[in-house]
Amino acid sequence: MRINLSFAAVALGILLAATASVQAHHSFSATYDGNKPITLRGTVTKIGWQNPHAHIYVDVKNADGKVVTWEVESAGPTALLKAGLRKEDFVGAEIIIKGFLAKDGTPTVNASSLTLVEAKKEFLTDEKAP
Amino acid sequence: MKRLMIVLSVALALGGQTVAFAQARPDFSGSWRLNVGKSGPNVAGNTPNIPFPSQIAVKQTPTDIAIESTSVRQQPVSAVYKLDGSKVSVQAPAGITETGEAKFDGENLSISSRRAFSSPAGDIVVEFKEVWSLIGNVLTIQKTRTQSGDSTTEKSQAVYDKL
Repeated sequence: MRINLSFAAVALGILLAATASVQAHHSFSATYDGNKPITLRGTVTKIGWQNPHAHIYVDVKNADGKVVTWEVESAGPTALLKAGLRKEDFVGAEIIIKGFLAKDGTPTVNASSLTLVEAKKEFLTDEKAP
Repeated sequence: MKRLMIVLSVALALGGQTVAFAQARPDFSGSWRLNVGKSGPNVAGNTPNIPFPSQIAVKQTPTDIAIESTSVRQQPVSAVYKLDGSKVSVQAPAGITETGEAKFDGENLSISSRRAFSSPAGDIVVEFKEVWSLIGNVLTIQKTRTQSGDSTTEKSQAVYDKL
């Protein structure tokens, strides 16, 4: 019985992990508006370096001077590393993001390209939907 | 009488040329499906550079071209452009204001549009330019996108097969 409970706990853990992974790996079309492209320029304040997508937090100043923190969904760490971009390259760096607005109106964007201004490094995301 | 015959002949010849010129325009009418394999990179999928619609329905007359663009889980965008290049309003999803114009440039169709919407970063204005060309049952669209205040321009190309 104890063994069965252990198996159940492990199975539940795997199931929850899989569910979280599926939720994190949503499709572009479900979350983002392909009719609303946007280019942002700002300073990276934080980075979530996890699979399947890295999340970059960027402070962007509006035309009226107000600073808005944007959450930028990017490719995963593996793809960024392959492009020569390390986690340490981001925080504090000035960045240009080209991408698409979230459908829910929040300051969230899906990045199709990232450019680190000082390093003059551009990363063009080329992930394809399965 | 002889002079009248000459004038009529010239008029007929010129009229014929005009008709022939008009007929030289390709007809883009039909339903078109995006061929991702033949298109440039980043036209679809999870991280498109310039997203292209997955399907386009076109109805063309000598004076107008009606275009409806649809994509999975995205709001459709449709417009009836006058082929004389005059500006028209595009039926865009809620929250987007768009105008555009279309005209033939030789055998290519050129469409320019200006899209405006609000965002947490303020009001955004994006200009698109498309060049459509037709070879047999294959439609190729070259598209550029420029955002106001951004000096760079994104370019991409998509290929569509006729259904």
